[in-house]
Amino acid sequence: MLGSVRPVAALSLATVCVLALAACGSSGGGTSTDTSTAASSASTGQSLAGQTVTVYSGQHEQTVKALAADFEKRTGVKVELRSGDEAELANQILQEGKASPADVFYAENPPALTVLEEQGLLAPVQPDTLKSVPAEDSSPKGDWVGVSARTAAFLAAEGKGADTAPPASVRDLAKPEWKGRLGIAPSETDFAPIVTRMIKTDGADAARQWLLGLKANAKSYGSNEDLSAAINSGEVEGGVIDHYYFYRLRDEKTTAQTHSKLHYFAKSDPGALIDVSGAGALKSGKHQQAAQAFLGYLASAPAQTLIATSESYEYPLVAGVKAKAELPVLDTIGSVASVADLGDGKEALQLLQDTGLLA
Amino acid sequence: MSGLSITGLHAAHGRTEILTGVELDVADGALACVLGPSGCGKSTLLRVIAGFHPATGGRVALGERLLDDGRQRLPAERRRIGYVPQDGALFPHLTVAGNIGFGLPRGRRSERVAELLALVGLDGLQGRHPHQLSGGQQQRVALARALATEPELLLLDEPFAALDAALRTELRAELAATLRRAGATAILVTHDQEEALSFADTIAVMRAGRIAQQASPQDLYHAPADAKVARLLGEANLVPAQLDGSKADTAFGSLPLTSDAGGARRGLVVLRPRQLRLTAEPAPGAVRALVRQSQFRGHEHRIELQPQGQDTLPTSLIAYADEPWPADEAFIRVHGQAHPVDEPGNPN
Amino acid sequence: MTGPARTLPAGRSPLLRWRAAGRLPVLPLLAFAVVAVVASPLVFVGVQAAQSGWDQAQRLLGRPLIATLLWNTATLAAAVTAATAVLGFGAAYLVERTDLPGRRWWTVALTLPLAVPEFVRGYSWVSLFSSVRGYWGAVLVMTCSLYPLVFLPVAATLRRADSAAEEVSRSLGRGPLATLWRVTLPLTRTALAGGALLVSLYLLGEYGAFAMLRFTTFATAIFTQYKLGFDAASAALLTLVLVALALLLVLLEAGTSRRGRVARRGTAGRRAAPVRLGLWRLPVLVALTALVGTALGVPLYALGYWLVRGSSTTLPSASVFSAALTTLGYAATAALVATAAAVPVALYAWRRATRLARTAERAAYLTRALPGIAVALSVVHFAIRYAQPMYQQPPLLVAGYVILFFPLALTAVRAALAQVPPGVEEVARSLGTRPLAVLLRVTLPLVLPGLGAAAAMVALTASTELTATLLLRPTGTQTLATQFWVYTSGLAYGAAAPYAALMVAMSVPPVLLLTRRTLGPNPRTETNR
Repeated sequence: MLGSVRPVAALSLATVCVLALAACGSSGGGTSTDTSTAASSASTGQSLAGQTVTVYSGQHEQTVKALAADFEKRTGVKVELRSGDEAELANQILQEGKASPADVFYAENPPALTVLEEQGLLAPVQPDTLKSVPAEDSSPKGDWVGVSARTAAFLAAEGKGADTAPPASVRDLAKPEWKGRLGIAPSETDFAPIVTRMIKTDGADAARQWLLGLKANAKSYGSNEDLSAAINSGEVEGGVIDHYYFYRLRDEKTTAQTHSKLHYFAKSDPGALIDVSGAGALKSGKHQQAAQAFLGYLASAPAQTLIATSESYEYPLVAGVKAKAELPVLDTIGSVASVADLGDGKEALQLLQDTGLLA
Repeated sequence: MSGLSITGLHAAHGRTEILTGVELDVADGALACVLGPSGCGKSTLLRVIAGFHPATGGRVALGERLLDDGRQRLPAERRRIGYVPQDGALFPHLTVAGNIGFGLPRGRRSERVAELLALVGLDGLQGRHPHQLSGGQQQRVALARALATEPELLLLDEPFAALDAALRTELRAELAATLRRAGATAILVTHDQEEALSFADTIAVMRAGRIAQQASPQDLYHAPADAKVARLLGEANLVPAQLDGSKADTAFGSLPLTSDAGGARRGLVVLRPRQLRLTAEPAPGAVRALVRQSQFRGHEHRIELQPQGQDTLPTSLIAYADEPWPADEAFIRVHGQAHPVDEPGNPN
Repeated sequence: MTGPARTLPAGRSPLLRWRAAGRLPVLPLLAFAVVAVVASPLVFVGVQAAQSGWDQAQRLLGRPLIATLLWNTATLAAAVTAATAVLGFGAAYLVERTDLPGRRWWTVALTLPLAVPEFVRGYSWVSLFSSVRGYWGAVLVMTCSLYPLVFLPVAATLRRADSAAEEVSRSLGRGPLATLWRVTLPLTRTALAGGALLVSLYLLGEYGAFAMLRFTTFATAIFTQYKLGFDAASAALLTLVLVALALLLVLLEAGTSRRGRVARRGTAGRRAAPVRLGLWRLPVLVALTALVGTALGVPLYALGYWLVRGSSTTLPSASVFSAALTTLGYAATAALVATAAAVPVALYAWRRATRLARTAERAAYLTRALPGIAVALSVVHFAIRYAQPMYQQPPLLVAGYVILFFPLALTAVRAALAQVPPGVEEVARSLGTRPLAVLLRVTLPLVLPGLGAAAAMVALTASTELTATLLLRPTGTQTLATQFWVYTSGLAYGAAAPYAALMVAMSVPPVLLLTRRTLGPNPRTETNR
């Protein structure tokens, strides 16, 4: 009986494959062939409509999607959005080299961009775009532009000691009294910048001692999501985390289920680190005009407003656009670590590996 | 000890009754054979005795020990009953020595394995793996393995079925000799009457889930309980007769019977092909027949005959003779006693 | 019509005969081509590693932490492999050899954990039990998710194997336990070793689940290089260590299965009366319920929890269904291609038991020990250089899946071929059938159930794959796994849950197909008592 069913089943299976793949192919195929308009658009800078720009994005997808849709509506440029883990995307671009289909790389953290910059894969960002955001938020060389900001803070489980007596400085977390009470996520790209900052402010030896203290005190988590959930459930008392994880978790869990609270470090503290996301255009991109237009859009008031009002809880960088009201004003928290200070993060990585916080 | 005794044994596969009241006795030290067509339940019988299949009723006992009565069952490993399945089922991951020594305590293993290798004539092969042995060698190892633990009873399930004819004959003789030497009680299951007749002290003919007849090979051959049994053991001429006391009135005249048939009635007598003698001339009590076919079978000639002018006789009679029959025609006389049986179709 | 006349000296394989007849050695060429593609990530890793300097190698490998990580990987792999072997064999024995009530139901229930995606499983444990962490947490979670890889092949072997050897053992005075240990277990050695190989190789390269469980292994070091160092060369250098470990495991398995190559397969297929559990019935039922409960119940409970409680849960939108269709299309295509690709490799090794053929077959397994990102980057690397028009097109993602999951298909096809009586191909040839016709009319029909199992296994795994999907998909393509990732990385578990639930639901038919095709028909007449 089965024998007679088999060919039919195989046939229908094959049909499903073909149909599904055809659907994928038609929606995802257009990455090239429309370069002809680039030349004509160069003079005016306005007739980009009909072009396509491929964006590799390591940023919060829902926000980037909204940005892409808005950009398409304003310019007529179609955005091919490729979301992924920023590090994996950076590695992908490195492997693709000059043949990369990417026009724009939009990353959560400067190191991923800096690595591409060092490899000479990024094209300079148009000066107008760079001017829209504070200079210290973009690449000193001008190869990528800062887009949004977030700040590191101390998330504490409500009612626990870490909440009633939060650490005055991120340096304190290495002290013995925090033993067994902390969580960290050292493998996240957000953590290394704090280490870099420590190296800059206190020196490499102090940073090493600080890391060793932290290692002795803290449980190590695989991701910021895991860490914030662990703090919220009281598994650990607290940990350093970017502010928006708290707000996103609260949105998901509802306020009633949220049992953690953010404490910001003092303005001068190395823990009061403001980190930026940024975007750059690839030198090898076939749609340079459109790519620059997209970067310009990201640094424009409409895009920044979208970012500021989205559920990603990030800070806009353009003057005049306000962050969500419930977020503290950025200037009161701390200052952006100079991107030049953060570099590609290799020194921090090595220190993390040497101290055994990272494998 | 008084051997194996089975009374009123019932067993089933699911809701299908396989054994329906088996009666069987095998004396201590005897070699018994269960003979029957495939599907008659003989393998199931063996598996019930071995403890691989549960009885649903009846009683199986070995000596004083109850093995199974449908309620209480002795686990297979505590029955001390050896088992040689159809294709040997050697443990593929063990050497010959490992196979033979499998059931032995560690201490006396090597000594006993050497003994058994000698017994089955496989000295020097103890290091081989099963896949390096021929079919006959594999069966010898299987036999040695079963004998190693000195079981009270040995069960053999068509152990030669997979072997070629010459090897089968050789191994059969060897097996019988080995078992007698070892003083073992054994039951062999087969559908091959030649195997049964040459191997066993006693043969149980099995049919449709029960034992139709159990007797010595000679008795069974010459005095089968019914026509079917007669046919199962070899070619038989079934001739209608008027039975009366120790005489049978047939187309071949009045013949003495092997046993008293009681009062006068109609019945059949079994005449084995060797009992039909051919002559060229008519004689009293001789039946004229046409020779349909004559086959040379090595040790004898098989002659198929068509009786003429006798409507009570079957259309075909078989005779075995030492010499080929040269003519187209012959006269058949009957030699020796005739054995009365019931009409075919009547059970038992 | 000249077939029999052309017969060369007996004992030569059909392949040699075909070649002698002036044909191209199609099969070996195909087999080596497939192996070359499947093993290409090994080449990639080698080439990349060579770009890393000796100093960097010393710095990376000389760290004291490396010893700890190797120790973690080795002890975890050993413990999980042992645990999956015990559970897999034990469950298979109970289902196939005892009078356990509801055996058919248990067979399916015990296989169903394969339907739970890895990241769902890791997350569900972490979110429900904060104590499931570290080494023992990793052992628990990985064992729960991987034991079906042992259970299925062992159960298949037990179902097909004649039980005569086990009966003989009983008649020789060995009780059920001694028989289990000394006869049944060795009987399944090949299947057991094959399953254990798939389990242990997978553990070498796994990263995501361990990160969630806060357990660092050697693969963690590799990910650090990719993720924070953007340093593919150093990552590749470290990956070579995993390849060496994988080689060791593959050789170990090859040794085991060669010694056990004569597992009897009963043609008569008589089934032993099931071993009576007696007083053990209750404890056994409790144990199996606990196993299925932990392996299946925990992730399902977590999914249910997020569906009900997560505030971001929305009614499944159209995107869920288009993602489901896309997932289905890719998984099915990858399954068909991987199975088709596995046939020549397995067939070649089966027909010719030469060292070369075996080596080719084994090399295909090494890829399974590579972290998913290494395989994905390798496909990126080669495709953009040598197959640019295909880059970020659907075929590329299919290729990625095929390379990643080829060993699963190969294992299933090998198992199916092992059931084919030797000599049938020769017989068919001697009847004047041409080689291709022999393949189509004799060999493939015989292994068809096995091909179904291979395809189901690949489809199952591919439909939940994430890393390679993100890197290789056509821009804009969304699968259930990528959507799940999008939402969970934004902490929107409620929104992610429908995607995960759909993944699990869609995995049920392949699991059913898998159990049926792997195990074959159950010859035992089910009785109620």
